This record gives sequence, C-alpha cells and structure tokens, in this order.
Amino acid sequence: MDSPAIAIRDLTRRFGQFVAVDDITFSVAQGQFFGFLGPNGAGKSTTIKMLTGLLAPTSGQMELIGLDFATHPLEIKRQIGVVPEGLALFGRLTAWEYLRFVGRMYGLDGPTTNRRAEELLDFMTLADEPKKLVTDFSHGMQKKLALAAAVIHAPRVLFLDEPFEGVDAVAAGTLKAMLQRMIERGATIFLTSHVLEIVERLCSHVAIIHHGRLVANGSLDELRAGVAAEIAATGERLTLEQIFLRIVGAAGPEAHQEALQELSWLA
Amino acid sequence: MAGLTGSPRDQNSLFRGGLASPLSRAQYAALIWVQRRIFLNSLRTMRGSFELGARILTGFIFFAIALGPGFGMGFGAYEGAVHGRPLAIAILLWVLCAVWQGFSAVAPALAGQNPDLSYLLRFPVSLGSWVLLYLVYGIMAPSTLIGLIWAASIGIGLTIARPDLLGWTALTLALVVLFNVLLSRTILAWVERWMAQRRTREIATAVLLFVGLGAQALNPAFHHYGHHWPASHGAAHLSHRIWEAQAAFPPGMAAEALALPLRHKGGGALPLGGLALYTAGVTGLLLVRLRSESRGENFSEVRREPAARTRRRARPRFEFSGPVAAVFEKDLRYLLRSGPMLYNLAAPLVMVFLFSGLYGSGTAAGGFRHAYALPTALIWAFLGLTRIVSNSFGAEGQGMQFYYLSPTPLRLVMLGKNALHVLLFLVEAAVITGVVLYRVGPPKPSIAAATIAWLLCALPLDLAAANVLSVLMPYRASAVRMRGAQGGMGNGLLSMLAQAGIVALGAIVIAPCSLLGHPWLATPILLALALVSLVVYARVLARIDGMMQGRRETVLLEVAKTPAAS
Repeated sequence: MDSPAIAIRDLTRRFGQFVAVDDITFSVAQGQFFGFLGPNGAGKSTTIKMLTGLLAPTSGQMELIGLDFATHPLEIKRQIGVVPEGLALFGRLTAWEYLRFVGRMYGLDGPTTNRRAEELLDFMTLADEPKKLVTDFSHGMQKKLALAAAVIHAPRVLFLDEPFEGVDAVAAGTLKAMLQRMIERGATIFLTSHVLEIVERLCSHVAIIHHGRLVANGSLDELRAGVAAEIAATGERLTLEQIFLRIVGAAGPEAHQEALQELSWLA
Repeated sequence: MAGLTGSPRDQNSLFRGGLASPLSRAQYAALIWVQRRIFLNSLRTMRGSFELGARILTGFIFFAIALGPGFGMGFGAYEGAVHGRPLAIAILLWVLCAVWQGFSAVAPALAGQNPDLSYLLRFPVSLGSWVLLYLVYGIMAPSTLIGLIWAASIGIGLTIARPDLLGWTALTLALVVLFNVLLSRTILAWVERWMAQRRTREIATAVLLFVGLGAQALNPAFHHYGHHWPASHGAAHLSHRIWEAQAAFPPGMAAEALALPLRHKGGGALPLGGLALYTAGVTGLLLVRLRSESRGENFSEVRREPAARTRRRARPRFEFSGPVAAVFEKDLRYLLRSGPMLYNLAAPLVMVFLFSGLYGSGTAAGGFRHAYALPTALIWAFLGLTRIVSNSFGAEGQGMQFYYLSPTPLRLVMLGKNALHVLLFLVEAAVITGVVLYRVGPPKPSIAAATIAWLLCALPLDLAAANVLSVLMPYRASAVRMRGAQGGMGNGLLSMLAQAGIVALGAIVIAPCSLLGHPWLATPILLALALVSLVVYARVLARIDGMMQGRRETVLLEVAKTPAAS
C-alpha cells in the first residue's frame, strides 16, 4: 500500500504562551483532494506553513510522500507546490521572468522551463501583457500566476491557501478543471478556503480545525454522519456550510442580529 | 432613513481650517502617539534596543564630525566680519549649502535616512499637513544636524563681531536653514520620482553622469587656481565674474545680505528678498511633487510602456541553467528596474567625481593623497554596495517566502546574489579607477599591486560580513521609493563598521611597508590574507542555510510583511 501523501502526528506550534496548533494528527492519502477548513485564526495557515517549511513546528512529526520533513526538507520541497497566503511573488519581474526563475529554482532545465512557462501563461490567460510587472497585476492575475508557479515543476502534492479568492468565474472554472486533471494524474491537493461551496464541490475529504485542535476529519458523508441526529430531525441533506457551522459552534442569523444591537452607531 | 450617527459627515467642523484644524491637530497627536508606541514596542526586542543604540551612536558621531568644522566656521565668520571680508562669509555659506545638500543626497543611499510616510495617504490628511509631516520627518536627518550646527556657528561668530546685528543675522541664517531643508527634501522627492520610471531613470542617470563629468572639468581649474591664483588680467577678470555670478545664487545672496550691514551699508533686504524668492520657488517645486503623491500617484512603470504586440517573448541570447544563475538574473533585473538601488550605486560615484580634485594637491599631505589616490578612492566602491549587499533580501517583499519554499539550498541563493555583488563592485571599481587615472595618473606599480591584493582580501571579507548581516538584521527596503524602513540604521552602522575594519586592515599592512621602504612587501602579505578571507567567506556561506532556517520567522516577518507604520 502507498504511504500517505501527508502524514501528521502530534503536530504542535506555540507562539510564546499561545498554542496556534495543538497536537493535531491526521493523514491525506495520495490522489486525494483534501479540504482543510477552520474559522479565522483557527490554525489553518500555521499548519500549512509548517507543512511547507515556512515555519518550524514546536513538536510533532510531519511526513510528506513518505519522507520525514525534519530530515529530508529539500527532497520534499522538490515534490510539492505551494500557493501560500502571501503568494510569494517577486513584484519587479514580468510573469514570464518569474516563471523562468521559479522553474530553474526547482531544477528544471532552460528549454523545459521556457516551454512550460509559455504553456502556463497561455493557459492562465496571462500572456497578453508580457511587459507588465507582477506588481501591476490585479489580485486575481497574481493568484493565477502564483498557481502557475506552484505547478510548473509538476508537483506530487499541491498546497493551496485560498486559491480562488479574487479570481473571476471564468478563470476559476479553468483552474478547477486543471486541478481535477492533476488529481486524475495522481497528484494530491491540500486546499484551504473560506468558500465552502468550492470545497464541497472539489474535495473528497475534509478536516476542520478550531482553536488549534482538529475537531473533524473524514469524507463529506462521514462528516454528515457525525451530525446524523440533526439530519434525522430536519430530514434534509446538510450542506458543508451547515456541517461546518454546527461543528465549530458558530452562531446563527438570530445571534448576528443580537450582536448588531451592540453597535451604537448602527442601532 | 435613519442614517449613520457619529460619522465624519456629522463632524464637518473637523475638516475646517488647514494645518491647525481640529482634524489636523488630532492627526498630529495620533502620529506622535503611534510613533511613541512603535518606539516603545521596538524596545521589547534586542534588535529594537540595538537600533536605538545605533541611532544614538550615529547621532553622536555626526555631532562630533560637525563640531570641529563648526568651530572653524564660527571663527571664519568672526574674522570675515571683523576684517570686512565678504568673500569669507560667502565661502562659508557655499560650503554649508554644498555639504548639506551633498550629504542629504547621499544619506538615503548609505543609511536609509528617509522614512516612508505614504501609509498616511489612506487617511484624510490634508495637503498642508502632508507637506508639513514630510518636512518634519525629513528634518530628523544627519544633514540637518550638521547644517544647523554650522549655521549656528556662523551666527555666533558674526554676533560676537557685531552684536547689534543679532536679529538680522538670525533672520538671514534662519532663511538659509529653511531653504536648505526645503531644497534637500525637494531634490529627494524629485529624484525619487524620476528614478521610478524607466525613461526618466535613464535621463536621470545621464544627468548624474553629466554633472559628474562637469565636476571633473571644473575641479582641476578650481584646485589649480585655489593654490596658484595667477595675477594676470584674465584670471582677475574670471574671479570677478565668478564672484558676481555666485551672488545670484542662494548662498551668495545670503552672504550679501549678511555682509552689507556688516560694512554699514544698506540694501541688505534686497538679497534677503532674493533668497526668500528662491525659497518660495523651491517650496513650489516641492508642493507640485507632494500634491501628486497625495493624490495617489502611480509609481509603476507599466503605464508608460507601449502596448505589446507580440505574445511570445524573445529568448535570452545566453542562457544559464541552475539556481545560482536564476538568482543572479532575477537580481540583475530587479536592480535595473529599481531607481533607489541604482541611486545607491551612483551616489558614491558622484562623491568620487566631486572629491577627486583633492588627490591632485601638491602639498605634503596632497602628495600622500596623490600616491594613495587609487586605494582611497576605491573605498567608495564598497560604500556604494553597502545598502545592497548588507541587506540582500530587503527588496524581495513577499517573494522572500519563495526561497524558503523552494528546494534550492539557501547558500546557493546567497551565492547567486554575491555573484551579482561582485560584478557590481567590479563595475564601480572600474569607473572609479578610470576617474583616478584620468585625474591623478597611474599609481606606482607597488601601490597598484598592493591595491589589487587588498581588494582580493577585502571583497570576500566584506561579502562574508554582509551575508551575516543580511540574515541577522534584514529589513524591508522598497525597490521603488528611496525610503528606509525600521532596522536600516543598525544594519547600516554595522556594515560600515565592518567596512572600516576592512579598510583599516589594508592600511595597517600597506602603510608600515611603505614607511619602512618596502612597498612591495604589502602585496604578498595581503595575498596571504586574501586566502584567509576566502576561507572565512566559504565558511560563512556554508552556514547560511542553518542561519537562515534558524531565523526564518524573523526574516519573513521583517522582509515579507508590509509595515503598518515606519
């Protein structure tokens, strides 16, 4: 049996007294489209940063594609692609220059880098303005470029932190098709997003983190089964958003109205 | 409709008035408060405390540097007033203005003296307040400290000679100070604008070179006539013309305004009015620039580019694979697109252009300077690289994350950056050598050999020290604006101390060998030290990965995050 694409054991990250990620354990099978959800400040980005080498864990173990991150960081980095929170773009390069740079940093030879860069720019519809600097791109264009850079070396595991935020509907459809194709070819995708409809449509498995602790993990059907009693009571099939709100214990619309009363200038 | 209560629309009185309106006063108070909080919060870290120490130390150094010439200026002004020599006062004021403007032009390149206030523009800050804040923040610079000390010294000297003219002297010198503050800020604001666009960057570079070459042409004449001013009719006519011409410029007008009452003559108000007109003109230029900035001026390059016709881009003629070449190429592109970085490189060259005349003096000290013109001038090549080399990751912004995400060992990233640093140093050194050869002539073979050996020793040592500083004390540097961020002072001070040590090392070897009559002995000693410095460089490079991984959170925090205020 193949080793999991991602295996985390007892992963913890503290910032002084604050525990951002608290002893979480889970694994992601190869070829899985995995959604990693949580409210703001729950520990999603901290977890991704640890999994991609941007942040050292306080304790715990991380294995990617069967390799321990602590002992094989460079081998792992060769096999993963990342669209991080800050996109990690170099603003004073053009899109093509940036992709050429990234390809060579991942060890691709010049001709391969050039060919893939041009294909990706065409695919992402970024090829029309070859002299425009990345810093002058719209946020959506920057997102597409970051995604192109994340896949230029054909990674086996792809980490995406809010990849569709600011991307127009047409481009989002194209990107989703590309991600589905990557899954079909055996890649693993680890996705975080606040747009739960997208996660529900794309991901086969979901984990939810809340206050740094893993509070749910499994397929969508397994998560639905976790709140089975409520399904029986209402007789409807819960959406991921409803599951998420129930699991993290978020307030409903009535509570929002009550909270609004506390804003004196909006009363 | 109920509407929003307590919104700014209900408080129109806040927006009435100008610089002293209630809103402006509230904003000044908020800024003072936030600066105080930033200062206090910065002291929580070791680095913040070090930064404060570096600022205090730098202040003391500049104060000490300014004090000696300040005494001289005071004495010169006293002598000029007592013996009725308006030329002496004019020379003092010209020196004051030249040093003030020269230093404020070079300071951002060397020490990041120019805080970024653009973050204020998201708030309802009036143009008047914006200009005022721009000036107030600019005043807190070493050039102002030096200028104020010298202006005060001149004032004290004149007042001791003629106490009855205290008021007039104070008024004139206050206007001189105001003019210089405004001029230095105006020059910086406009240079920053010109450097932001490719076309204007090229024009600005050409102007800088033209000014530098012009100084080359003028320097020999001034230095020749300065020591052996011929008594011929032509020379006397020339000096008279120069004296007349300088009176039409601000330092000359200020000198005239001070000198006329000293000689019990009236009409001092006329040159003072001229100086006021110059000040108003400079203020107008500054207002034009800051008004554009306050309206959200676009500092990007792309708008001026012609619409692209071709979708495919030309492949580079020479293509090198591998991460070192990729980093080299990427940093070279960054450099060519960054006005501030080019300015950092060019500013010390201009200083070499300006001061190269000193090397040609015929006095004993001049003879020493003449003999060692090449190695002393090459020190400027190191200074030109200071801000780029000792903060290698400063301009990466969010791209810094990529280095940690990529599978490339960080020592290779640093090697690629250092390769570009070496190239830049060689270009700077070549230009400086050209200037020295043109102005002074070729050095003695023994001096030339020792200089080359010293460079072989100094460059790896400088890069090793700079690499450590880049990791231990990085700070975010704008590739577009010539404004430093917090952390630049400590980094700049330490890198200059390292460079001072490297220069001292060369002097310690070369000077005794020359004094003992064995100048050739310096070369093998320095070559042996070069081997040691190469080993030091290699060992530092080998440890870069460990150092950067150990400090990745700090490095990412300092370089990749946009500061809320600086």
